[in-house]
Amino acid sequence: MVQSLKLTMNKIFLGVIDDFAEEQAKGFDLNHSGSDTFFIVRSKNKLFAYKDSCPHYGDTTLPWKRHHYLNNVAEYIVCAAHGALFQIENGKCIQGPCLGQKLTKVPIEISEQNEIWIDQTIIKEFNL
Amino acid sequence: MNIIGPDKLIWGVEDLAAAKQFAVDYGLTPQNEHYYSALDGTGIEIRAKDDKSLPAALTTGSMLRKTVYGVKDQATLDAIKAEFTDREVKVLADGSLELVDDMGFVLGFQITIRTTNTEKAERINAPGDVNREINQPGVTKTDVPRVQSLSHVVYFVPDSVKAEAFFANRLGFVTTDRFTGVGPFMRPAATQDHHTIFFIQAPAFMQGCEHFTFHMAGPTDVVQAGTNMVNKGYQSFWGPGRHLFGSNWFWYFKSPFGCNMEYDADMDQHDESWQGREAMIGPDNSQAFLLQYREKWAPGPGGPKP
Ligand code: FES
Ligand SMILES: [Fe+2]
Repeated sequence: MVQSLKLTMNKIFLGVIDDFAEEQAKGFDLNHSGSDTFFIVRSKNKLFAYKDSCPHYGDTTLPWKRHHYLNNVAEYIVCAAHGALFQIENGKCIQGPCLGQKLTKVPIEISEQNEIWIDQTIIKEFNL
Repeated sequence: MNIIGPDKLIWGVEDLAAAKQFAVDYGLTPQNEHYYSALDGTGIEIRAKDDKSLPAALTTGSMLRKTVYGVKDQATLDAIKAEFTDREVKVLADGSLELVDDMGFVLGFQITIRTTNTEKAERINAPGDVNREINQPGVTKTDVPRVQSLSHVVYFVPDSVKAEAFFANRLGFVTTDRFTGVGPFMRPAATQDHHTIFFIQAPAFMQGCEHFTFHMAGPTDVVQAGTNMVNKGYQSFWGPGRHLFGSNWFWYFKSPFGCNMEYDADMDQHDESWQGREAMIGPDNSQAFLLQYREKWAPGPGGPKP
């Protein structure tokens, strides 16, 4: 009992799966830094989370507007700075300056109640 | 050759509605379904990427389909036509010329559509050197920064030496400054702006537009316009700050054009007597200073406090 409570206290609640429409993305700014640090994409009924950092320069975020991580037809993740395209399932860049490089995958957890959680240690480790 | 600078950039975008909204929010004025202009008439033409009227796209995914240069007069157009006997030069229905440069970019040339319909540069006062009219506040809350004129385009190119040679030898551009191993800042003969193009050496799969920008009346308008963009939810890429080469103030935003869109102001002017400089590219040489947006704030909890 104590153990599971502690675990919950070490995690941050990000929402439920139903917060995401199919083929939709959302950015998170847990520290209220004014800029999202990671994002989650729902695609083909699966969730994928990546650091909001383009491998081209490694120090700038992807979208031209908040939450606009996907291209028009929601086929790829886009970096709007120079148009890089990334595969949603694995974060691999298939077109653009960082061709062949990958977005950094962020581990998230999904509970049986369809709740989305992120562990504090992950937040620290990935500097989110 | 009396080339002045870019008159118009033609885009084939993926998300037409987003690109048009972005253009309006940036501060351009729609003149018709496709054309969004600055005060002096220069601007961007926005079309869907599969629009049949567009020149062919590069294979790299670049959304920039054509750069149209404004030239002084018909004699300049004739000179350009006469220069390029080594390739096809199309004469389009509007009298403009179209050709493909040595990198594969489609270029257009037209008698410039630029008017002199721009505002005065931002006026600043200093002790003993007063430039603003008396009783004229320098800034108010209701000021609307207005986009003046298409300024410059920066291209990723697979061979910046070849790109520089083409613009220098065939079109009469002059190199004003250079980042070693990266590429030149160039200005055409009929402008004194520090640059209307800058080339960045990059792998062939990156060929395309790195950013484009319009001149604003001064640094206040750059920062005010950028702040408006942030408040509308758009995301800054770099800035605000002030470059060293060209001395232009900058603020770059990511955009639905697949490249950054910048605001710039107060660029250096040069003539033939200018001696070009060269430096290594990097944070220290790319800007005099770099600032970062912060939400409006003031000391004290929302009211007067000693
Ligand atoms: S910073 Fe993302 S493509 Fe250049
Ligand atoms: Fe620029």
